[in-house]
Amino acid sequence: MLFEIERTTVLGRPAVRVRGELDIATAPRLAEAVDAQLATSPSSMVIDLTETTFMDSSGARQLARSARAATGSGVPLQVVCPQENRPVRLVIDLLELQALVPVVEAARGIDGVVGP
Amino acid sequence: MTSPPSSAPTGVPALGDEALQRCADEPIAVPGAIQPHGALLAVTEPELAVVVASANAAELLGEGDDLSAVLGDADLTRLRAGLAGDLAELNPLRVTVRGAEFDLVVSRADGLLLTEWEPVEGAEEAGAAWHRRLPAVLQRLSATTGLAGLADTLARDVRTLTGFDRVMVYRFDPEWNGEVVAEARRADLAPFLGLRYPASDIPAQARALYTTNWLRLIPDATYRPVPLRPATDPRTGRPLDLSGAALRSVSPVHLEYLANMGVISSMSVSLIDRGRLWGLIACHHYAGPHRPSVADRTAAEFLGRTASLLLHTTVEAGERDDVVGVAERQAALVAALGRTPRAPAQALTEGSPTVLDLLPAGGAALRLDGRLHLIGTTPPADRVAALVPALLATGAPATDALAQVLPGAADVAATASGLLAVEVGAGDFLAWFRPETVREVTWGGDPHTSKTVDTGAGPRLSPRRSFAAWSETVRGTAPPWRPHEIAAARALAGHLTESALQRAGEDNRLAAALQRTLLLEQLPEVPGLELAARYRPSTADVVGGDWYDLVPLPSGRISIVLGDVAGHGLAAAAITAQLRHALRAHLLRDRGPAAALQALNEVIAALLPGELATAVIAEVDPETGDVAVTNAGHLPALHVTAAGVSLLREGRGPALGLLDTVDYPEARTRLVDADRLLLYSDGLVERRDVPLPDRLDTLRAAAGTAEAGPEALLDAVLAALDPPDADDVTLVGLGRT
Repeated sequence: MLFEIERTTVLGRPAVRVRGELDIATAPRLAEAVDAQLATSPSSMVIDLTETTFMDSSGARQLARSARAATGSGVPLQVVCPQENRPVRLVIDLLELQALVPVVEAARGIDGVVGP
Repeated sequence: MTSPPSSAPTGVPALGDEALQRCADEPIAVPGAIQPHGALLAVTEPELAVVVASANAAELLGEGDDLSAVLGDADLTRLRAGLAGDLAELNPLRVTVRGAEFDLVVSRADGLLLTEWEPVEGAEEAGAAWHRRLPAVLQRLSATTGLAGLADTLARDVRTLTGFDRVMVYRFDPEWNGEVVAEARRADLAPFLGLRYPASDIPAQARALYTTNWLRLIPDATYRPVPLRPATDPRTGRPLDLSGAALRSVSPVHLEYLANMGVISSMSVSLIDRGRLWGLIACHHYAGPHRPSVADRTAAEFLGRTASLLLHTTVEAGERDDVVGVAERQAALVAALGRTPRAPAQALTEGSPTVLDLLPAGGAALRLDGRLHLIGTTPPADRVAALVPALLATGAPATDALAQVLPGAADVAATASGLLAVEVGAGDFLAWFRPETVREVTWGGDPHTSKTVDTGAGPRLSPRRSFAAWSETVRGTAPPWRPHEIAAARALAGHLTESALQRAGEDNRLAAALQRTLLLEQLPEVPGLELAARYRPSTADVVGGDWYDLVPLPSGRISIVLGDVAGHGLAAAAITAQLRHALRAHLLRDRGPAAALQALNEVIAALLPGELATAVIAEVDPETGDVAVTNAGHLPALHVTAAGVSLLREGRGPALGLLDTVDYPEARTRLVDADRLLLYSDGLVERRDVPLPDRLDTLRAAAGTAEAGPEALLDAVLAALDPPDADDVTLVGLGRT
């Protein structure tokens, strides 16, 4: 099973890129990566699910927790998940995660929102 | 010398095979000559007739065919009496020959009695005072704790006894490189303490000799050897075996080595631990020839033998202290785990001792249940998460030079030159890090200098000429992991794995029991409605967070609930139970499904922060078929009608627990004729290999072709979707009668 977490930057902002299946087994790795990024006190942050192939309720729960952690740290967070990523986007839409954290189509969408 | 010392840690260059072979062939046991500070007569027993004599015997002892011509009657009688017993008790025998005193030392070899005669005149004698102090010296030796104390006492007392300029205690490592671990010296001499010598300095055949012959003395390294006559034993035709003889002439290579060090006189006493040469007491004299008396040498040998007996217990007591310390801390950690079996990471990182204290290391990491914890000085978390599994994948999970195993780790050498990793279960681990120690390896000479010289008879091993201390820096290495440390790490990991499995087993039994209480033993009888439910637990030995409920309301309506708590196992099951009962209470207020879910969301926000659940409620009026639906993040309910199948996409709001307060809407529909309603959990439709939208299409198709009645509907969709058994699957169907 493929799973990879990459700490990177998207348009100059600290980002966590999740590749593969985000589930009960791999969700803790997302938590670690987000915590590590938040520890650097960035001015904003991105979680990129473009290449996430699967997300179960535990994965979604972790995403929600990370969103709360970002809010608690005063760091604006955005989740990138395009409509084309149907399996993951449908889970986000069903749970209405947008109520908690902005979910945007693509990295370029962030540029205008967050701004340098 | 059967195995060249090629495994020395700093890479002592392998010598030419031919030179090593010549060294191995050198006849050190049968040199055919002795040193000139005494004379040797090899005699038969019991006749004591001379068979072989050293060339200087006639000069020192006079002419004679047997020992009766050399010794007076009284000495001869004492000798013969001693020969009947243990020779060790006889030696040395103080005798008088032609008015001069000699110390006579005898041994047996090749069927002959070797008699060695050393003039008392010219020998240095510590005197009786020292010998009276022997009990105190022995007391000091045996009272030492630890190797350093033993070696220091030994060096000091041997020097006091023998008067050598320098006395060193020298220890061999497993590759036979030596290190000076204690030293007593004349104040004006440069210290040799800590110097290391490559294994090739003392060839294997010399080491073999040292395990049988405890003491060697060269009073004057510039001596001219005295040949034996005849050169071979006339009875056997072979040269005499002198390996047990005190006067044995030594290898010219060794004399050259001493000359290069500026040593005029040298003595060494073996230190032997349970049959293996452990080290040497090496004595040097620089001022000139030096010959301690036979009695003093015997006393020095006695100290060496005593220390040898103590080595085993003293050295191992020190090491055992380390081993015991690790074992005690391991037991303390296991006990801490036992006290808080459900918080192993906390037990290992927050108590005393921590997992870092288990063994000497700069930092430690543990990943338990996928969560990484770091203590002490370690590389950054993301590097640890990559390095440890990479090292485990090599199959050799303990290294003292990580960058040599994983070249990508060179940049973390400062914190992680040493890495010891052990797996916990599948995917979790414990790991310890040791920082780089820039090791100064100080050699008593450059081990890289060439050591072969050309002689007429071909290349010969030549002792090194440069004895200026020479150091070599070994980068990227840490102190090695010792076997008992690796064993303790493995044992702790094994304990964690086992207790995690046990905990998981207990959890599953508890969760399964809890889950059973969530299911209805019997579906309620509701006039006008037909109900059906299925709960299929996962076969993956984990309990999911699904629940369903059918709650008849005071108004005569009935609430049909299907919910799912994120996660699985005992934690999810416990939350599921709380949510089900809380929701039931709010539903019974009969204010509709939206109000109930709104209240349930507040319960999570207040009491279970961080948890996430979804639920869909259909409230049905059996009289009219009116249905009110509210959905909190759950998969849409299915409405199966004669005209087709629709997903109820209205009346939705966010999942429970996402926001502190939510106003949920209600959607309305009506069941007419044979209409059916289907509520289901994600276990029915979720598959990793098929996108969710496609599975929902399959579900609609199957529902559309199912036979009449809710039971048939459930059977049909289960058959068509064939949900994977990794998750639990819950379905509730209803229709009007």
